[in-house]
Amino acid sequence: MSESKYLVEVENLQKWFPARRTVKEVFKGEQRYVKAVDGVSFKIERGEIFGLVGESGCGKTTTGKLIMKLLDPSGGKITFDNEDVTYLDHVALDKYRQNVQMVFQDPYASMNPRFRLRDVLEEPLIIHKKGGTKAERMELVKKALNEVRLQPPEEFMVRFPHMLSGGQRQRGATARSLILNPKMIVADEPVSMIDLSTRAEILHMMKSVQRDLNLTYLYITHDLSTARYFTDKIAVMYLGKIVEMGHPNDVIDHSLHPYTKALITAVCEPIAGKVNRIKEVPIKGEVPSAENIPQGCRFHPRCPYAVKDCWEQDEPVLEEVGNGHFVACRRYKEI
Amino acid sequence: MKLAEMRDSLKDFWNEFKKEKTGVVGLILFAIFMFIVIFEPFLLPFEDANSRWRDISYWQDWPKSAPPAWTNWFTSDKKAVTEQLTEFKEVSQDLGAMVMKEFTFDYDYQFDDAPNDIIIHANASGQPIVVVNIIRPDGNELEVYQSTYNAGERPKDLRISVDNSSRQVIYNFAKKYESPEDLSKVKPGLIKTTNGIFAKAESGILRNPVALKGNYQIKITAILRSDQDNMETPYIVLPGKVSGVLGTDSQKRDIWTGVLAGVKWALLIGILTAIVSVAIGVIYGVISAYLGGWKDALMQRIFEIFVSVPLLPVLIVLSAVFEPSIWTMVLMMALFFWTGSVKTVRSMAMQIKEETFIEASKALGASNFRIIFKHMVPILIPYSFSSIALFIPGAVVYEATISLLGLGDSQIVTWGQILSDALHSGAVLNGLWWWVVPPGLAIAFMGMAFAFIGFSMDKILHPKLRTR
Amino acid sequence: MDKIKMKDERNVLEVENLKLYYKVSEGLVKAVDDVSFFLRKGETLGLVGESGCGKTTTGTALMHMPTPPGYIAGGKIILDGEDIVPLKENEIRRRIRWEKISMVFQGAMNCLTPVYTIGKLMSETLQEHRKIEKTEARNIMVKYLNYVGLSEDVLRRYPHELSGGMKQRVVIAMALFLEPKVIVCDEPTTALDVVVQAQIINLLKELKEKLSLSFIFITHDLATEAEVSDRVQIMYGGKIMEIGTNQQIYGEQGPMHPYTRRLLEATPRLHEEVEELAFIPGTPPDLLRPPQGCKFHERCDVVMDKCKSQEPDLIEVEDDHYVACWRCRK
Repeated sequence: MSESKYLVEVENLQKWFPARRTVKEVFKGEQRYVKAVDGVSFKIERGEIFGLVGESGCGKTTTGKLIMKLLDPSGGKITFDNEDVTYLDHVALDKYRQNVQMVFQDPYASMNPRFRLRDVLEEPLIIHKKGGTKAERMELVKKALNEVRLQPPEEFMVRFPHMLSGGQRQRGATARSLILNPKMIVADEPVSMIDLSTRAEILHMMKSVQRDLNLTYLYITHDLSTARYFTDKIAVMYLGKIVEMGHPNDVIDHSLHPYTKALITAVCEPIAGKVNRIKEVPIKGEVPSAENIPQGCRFHPRCPYAVKDCWEQDEPVLEEVGNGHFVACRRYKEI
Repeated sequence: MKLAEMRDSLKDFWNEFKKEKTGVVGLILFAIFMFIVIFEPFLLPFEDANSRWRDISYWQDWPKSAPPAWTNWFTSDKKAVTEQLTEFKEVSQDLGAMVMKEFTFDYDYQFDDAPNDIIIHANASGQPIVVVNIIRPDGNELEVYQSTYNAGERPKDLRISVDNSSRQVIYNFAKKYESPEDLSKVKPGLIKTTNGIFAKAESGILRNPVALKGNYQIKITAILRSDQDNMETPYIVLPGKVSGVLGTDSQKRDIWTGVLAGVKWALLIGILTAIVSVAIGVIYGVISAYLGGWKDALMQRIFEIFVSVPLLPVLIVLSAVFEPSIWTMVLMMALFFWTGSVKTVRSMAMQIKEETFIEASKALGASNFRIIFKHMVPILIPYSFSSIALFIPGAVVYEATISLLGLGDSQIVTWGQILSDALHSGAVLNGLWWWVVPPGLAIAFMGMAFAFIGFSMDKILHPKLRTR
Repeated sequence: MDKIKMKDERNVLEVENLKLYYKVSEGLVKAVDDVSFFLRKGETLGLVGESGCGKTTTGTALMHMPTPPGYIAGGKIILDGEDIVPLKENEIRRRIRWEKISMVFQGAMNCLTPVYTIGKLMSETLQEHRKIEKTEARNIMVKYLNYVGLSEDVLRRYPHELSGGMKQRVVIAMALFLEPKVIVCDEPTTALDVVVQAQIINLLKELKEKLSLSFIFITHDLATEAEVSDRVQIMYGGKIMEIGTNQQIYGEQGPMHPYTRRLLEATPRLHEEVEELAFIPGTPPDLLRPPQGCKFHERCDVVMDKCKSQEPDLIEVEDDHYVACWRCRK
């Protein structure tokens, strides 16, 4: 079978968490759900950096965990490298983990503070029984540290996390994710807790690592500006669904969905002259709870362009409008 | 590399620990206990005390229920302290058909109250004639014993104070000095021989003896009539009215020896029970927290059953069923002590479970076993150490309680056993404080030592408790 | 008590040579080291910098609340004509804190006591400072809740019933209702979503206008600072590197100080395609053993020999524009 262009294909992925019930509901046999991820579909090409963008509660982190198989989906399908990986048994899961790795947001919390860096990096090798002897494993550790430019590796190997700066820790975490030679890395806000002056350094390192090792990234963030800089494709999520998807230039400079437009307007920019202006953000109210998803288009209560169809008709589907630009809005042409 | 790391973290820990005064006190006490355990063979006045604690014959030379020797400092009336006389001058005379051996012991008597007895031991064979003379400082010589010693019979020692002939000798001696009326009030069979031997030769010698202080010589003469007869290496024991560092109990056992011998058992029982209990408790708590859901709930219900069972009655029943040995006791105590740390460990583990690095390990594919034992349990080790230290006093007291009820291991000497014997012999009622207080204090000190160590460790390892 | 005359009539706050140090077992951490600046009436002064630069510490120093083992080691903070540094704690608590200067703390919205209603929380603070009737207190609370865009039935709610944005508005209302002259905001929007962030920023701007307030806005995000602050002060290693107006820092010309310039270059832009984002190699200085000379010299791309041994003063290079750099002299 020829290699598909896409490394990851996600179809209608769902994750519904059962909500706590009142006594009455228990008796009635009703169950409400927190629909964290409610039908998400996208494809990630090989070697691509795919950005999943949205505010807190939109489901982007949950999607990342579903792809990492830290959570089991409530519905939908995930295909990885031409194989259906939606439900995996123990052995297949083990193999999957060697192919898909994760870098977490908090570089300090993601490493056991009592492990030296070399122990942190050795752990995946031990778990997956790679590198026969201790010496061989240490060689692999050094190689990974060189890859992320923590040099000389001998010096950094023996340090504890608290002896490293935030940027160095994140490099270490990246090294850990690389050591098994995965095909894809899921990065959840990898630089949001790093100082501004170092952020680009880490992203730069991540990009060069990607080139060297032929990696694919799923980059999860709430920061649109960084996403624009770093990703090849962006998907904007709202309340568990993708509302707009495409090349960063299209999504950011030519946004079609009202939510994306609102986000773009709201983002602050380091430009003079904005200080005395009250920003008009075309959005109403606040994000509803994922337990009570609005009828029809889930964005309609907050949308300044909503019309009757928007809540009476079915939810708009994510459709391509040209050039790989997708939007889920029935009125996008008019606004 | 690992050793170097341990050394460094130990050094850091020690620097912190040094600042905790109570902790250092506890550590000193612990060091004293360890010293006792290590040097026990040298410290024990009675080398075989461990194995022969319940062997009456081993202790038979000692006085019964004698207070400690140092109580003499607090009384004007100095009571005789138990003494062993081992040095003697030996003179041998060959008289043709017989050989006469003379052993002379010096005894400097400076007390106001005479020893209870004069016990003579020797290696003898055949049937020598034995004569015992006592030469008093006032020049009087008393022949207190004269008989044929039959090496084949028992007993193998000579006890002057129980010997009727000796008593008669003293009576006759006293008669010369006692007034006739006092004499009439005395029953010859009830005279305390040793009181008379060591009293001034004057009126009142039998009823109100005044001590004759000075150098006494005890001469043992053995007349060997044939080649089979022999006597050599004699030694004399003078059991006093007061004895040893902590006195004796009603079975004549030296209590200081008992307390010393008990140190190692207390440490062993305490530490072993504590380690086993905490190990079980920590692992149980972590697994319970990690598994979560109904498995956690089930484990907690099992835990609650164990907690609600009262330890003491169960131990009593178990001790009645199984032959109580120290190992089964440790096992039984651990079986119930483990619950002590579970709740705390579980809540700590639940917090650790939420840490990102645990999630990261899961993302790497780590097995539950690895996460529990390589990540979670090591974080709880500092807490475990302080927990162990704090469990030890409890274990020691529990053992004492069980022994007090007579259910302890009868093969060993523990402080609990000593207290048990004291209780059953009515020590408190009879005012034998030296039997009850020392073992009690020992238990208290051991508890104190580990409580101090434990609290100090806790302060260091739980930064939130620091007052600095 | 004599009032100290402000150097400039327009100023509502003047800070001179402020030093805030932390006493640790290894020595002194010079978190804020000889810092001088002023705040004009009705303006927002932004304090921007990365972690460890001293901006949050400066904020707490202005409230005379250094976190122990920190202490104010020297300098003056002249607020409304009096130097508050030498004052005793109970006087500060009575007259200064919350009366003349208040603070919206980092993550304050998560520190609202969950067992009290908003009404109880607010009235407690209010009663602490003013002896007023219940009805009058309630009127004040409602008035300020309305200012921040909340209705009065928020008073009956518990913190967990409110969203992040609403909680932050409550915190802002509480910082205002005693009508202080200066309000210090420490990362007030960092934990909020982008849309809510924009709303809160709009709110602060409206309040500034309507109530003639003066703000000090502390953040690490240059982009947020650009949209909020009239003048911006960049801190690094416990020192001020540059102070300039919004136009001078973010305008076409660009900032003067190498650090500010590089920091701006490292900030990603939403509407610009950037080929390669800049970064500054190295790490912030150890404030226990700070480097000699200019605190930034180790990471500076235009460093001169002089920078390594002599520390540049903060001098005015053009109207309202101060720079501490040997390369930026008139």
